[in-house]
Amino acid sequence: MSVELAHLQKIHKSFNGVEVLHGVNLTLSSGEVLALLGENGAGKSTLVKILAGDLEPTSGSIDIAGTELARLDVYQARQLGVRMIFQELNDAPTLTVAENIFLGQWPSNKGMVAWREMNRKAKEILDRLEVDIPVDAIAGELRVGERQLLEIARALTQNAKILVLDEPTAALSNVEVERLFIVMQQLKAQGVGMIYITHRLDEVARVADRVQVLRDGDSVLTVDAKKADRSDLVTAMLGHEAAKNSRPDANPTSKIAVKIEKLSSFTEFEDVSFSVNAGEILCLFGKIGSGSAEILDCLYGLRPISSGSIEIFGKPFLPKSPEESVEYGVGYLPADRQRLGSFGSRSVAENLAVRSWQNMGHLGFVESAKESGAFVKWADALRISSRRGPTQEIVTLSGGNQQKVLLARWFEANVNVLLLIEPTRGVDVGARRDIYEIIRKQAKESNMAVIVATSDYEEVVLLADRALVMARGKVVSELTGNAVDANTLISASS
Amino acid sequence: MSETKSKAVAVGSEKKKRRSIPASTALLVFLVSLFTYFSIASEYFFDIENFRNILVALAVTGVVCIPGTLLMISGQVDLSVGSTAAVSGMILAKLVDKHGITVGLITALLFGVVLGCINGFLVTKVGVNSLITTLGALATLYGVALLIGNGQTLMMRNFEWLGTAQPFGVPLPVAIFTFISIIGIIVLRRTTYGRSLYAIGANPNAARVVGIRSNRLLFLTFALSGLSAALAGAILCSQLSAGDPNAARGLELEAITAIVLGGASLAGGRGTMFGTILGLLTIGVLNNGLILLDVPTFWQRVAQGLMLIAAVSFDQIRQKLNSQRG
Repeated sequence: MSVELAHLQKIHKSFNGVEVLHGVNLTLSSGEVLALLGENGAGKSTLVKILAGDLEPTSGSIDIAGTELARLDVYQARQLGVRMIFQELNDAPTLTVAENIFLGQWPSNKGMVAWREMNRKAKEILDRLEVDIPVDAIAGELRVGERQLLEIARALTQNAKILVLDEPTAALSNVEVERLFIVMQQLKAQGVGMIYITHRLDEVARVADRVQVLRDGDSVLTVDAKKADRSDLVTAMLGHEAAKNSRPDANPTSKIAVKIEKLSSFTEFEDVSFSVNAGEILCLFGKIGSGSAEILDCLYGLRPISSGSIEIFGKPFLPKSPEESVEYGVGYLPADRQRLGSFGSRSVAENLAVRSWQNMGHLGFVESAKESGAFVKWADALRISSRRGPTQEIVTLSGGNQQKVLLARWFEANVNVLLLIEPTRGVDVGARRDIYEIIRKQAKESNMAVIVATSDYEEVVLLADRALVMARGKVVSELTGNAVDANTLISASS
Repeated sequence: MSETKSKAVAVGSEKKKRRSIPASTALLVFLVSLFTYFSIASEYFFDIENFRNILVALAVTGVVCIPGTLLMISGQVDLSVGSTAAVSGMILAKLVDKHGITVGLITALLFGVVLGCINGFLVTKVGVNSLITTLGALATLYGVALLIGNGQTLMMRNFEWLGTAQPFGVPLPVAIFTFISIIGIIVLRRTTYGRSLYAIGANPNAARVVGIRSNRLLFLTFALSGLSAALAGAILCSQLSAGDPNAARGLELEAITAIVLGGASLAGGRGTMFGTILGLLTIGVLNNGLILLDVPTFWQRVAQGLMLIAAVSFDQIRQKLNSQRG
């Protein structure tokens, strides 16, 4: 009945001599949903990119729909019906829903776009998915979840047999998640095989037939989803080390650094109150859209608040822009490093010193020696490897090293309050350890209050003195000290 | 094992070699070749008096190139410098005979600053793209320059010194340009202002998030651009002993060619004053050499246009190579 669609065997993959996949097998049958679990850096994305022809394996064999291939390119993969849906949208926001569904392959009549035919066909596809979106709506005006469904619809017009969904629910509301699951059921019934990458264990039992867990480039567990035990999955993902042991003792002072009371920002979050002491690390744990990152945006003046109050060291604080926040000694690390954090074409030293130039000379002058001195100092402390020292362009560094530079930017600027959003997103495992260590060390040594917004429970376990669990814009529970562990966090946030 | 190692080293050194060539090396080689060629091809070229001519011809463009480079590095462009120079020259010519040089000069320069501030306001506060803003200003101000003189050139007397004086044998416009260049080099390399401009150009969003006062700095830079354009207009006016609405036409094109030729990236975040000065010299030597070789002046325009296209293409190719490597 069900046909084997894809069969990857003994896939090895190395980047610059570092092996990230150590002989992983993967099979997928028609009408099956395979959940792919694993920590950041476990190799999930690398594996599916190999399936989609984006990356070439160092060794191993790929067999798609009975065709064995030594190597696969993007074009071939598309021909064979492999489609990927990414977390980020890949649509044309100014075009209509119908145009987006047929993007680049508009039905035409003598070189003119056959609008009526296109709209009719688009409606058919959306009906088949039981999705109610007007075909002449402008894609950019739809909700994120609806736009994601459009991408799935587009994949269907292109005859997708294997659909890879890379954390599709990360940015969706609950209602949208439900709708996505319904669509996935439809696709299943039509014989489409799906690989579903997620961090959320509660989703696995809902949608998946089988679960495969990757850890550090090895496939460590493959089980029937119905039989999968939650704690087994967590153990498989984390490995044997229990993460809670590696967190050092809490050592906050009793001086309140930041205090927010009944803070609300329109629909993003409401009635949030907490305080953070100098030297303390507070984690706001919740999935994307839960309001945790938005609170930090408000604290930094990037997002307006609708009510409530903020105090910094006892003084009322209502930042309207980052320019004001930095004057109060507040630093901010955005989640999107490329877009909001780094100055790609500038040197690592400049990227690090940008907030400290005024302390590196007089009358608006900057002493270059002090600038490179600061880099050397922090490169040493944070183990930043920059082959050509202070002058290397930051864009040529690995994600982990870039992130270390951006963190050192605020350490060098001597901020009292540091706001971090997803500080280790896209950072390799080794660098993550360094980053956690240095954040804890800095918080302790310079009595800095650190607030971290993250959707990664392991990060909370390794970093937090205290954690607030957030869901749908509200704080749902507070955990302190040893109560901060993976199982408690996951069950509190679901 | 040793094979992979040697390969890694080879890749590293290849990268290093490519990276350690400054952006302006190709230009420097080109300039030296041009220089050598003209020295051989024309007996009048290699001559101190001719070098002086080259520099005088460059000085006016050079003055606007310095703030122009600051703008380009921060990801902005000012196309209105030619028209601003024209209007300032017309104002100066109108006022000098009646109210004296001081009043005329101050009014003209102030006018340039005001125009620069208007551009800066539109770009930073209203949020209009600088290319469009200053293109509009270019057209508008050219019209204004024609209106002031009713389409005519305004003759004036007693104001030759700014354009023609030669203290210690150095033509005053060249001295002014040199002085502004030195300030430009120091400001760009050594001050927080200069470094912030690089950051704004490299990533305007990140600059905002890190708390750089981008709008204020860009506004200031547009004002400086307006001031320099007015100064260029005044020098031209003095050289011609007249306010000519057409005198500064094409100034923006020549300035941008020099800046881009010098390696400043149109995308912002890259460029040096040294590169711009090299770009200027290249244009100056080329124009001068073509004249000495009796090439019809129309060909200068062709050569300059082609050079701009070549420089921009070079910039694009370099960016592509960079992104491939990243």
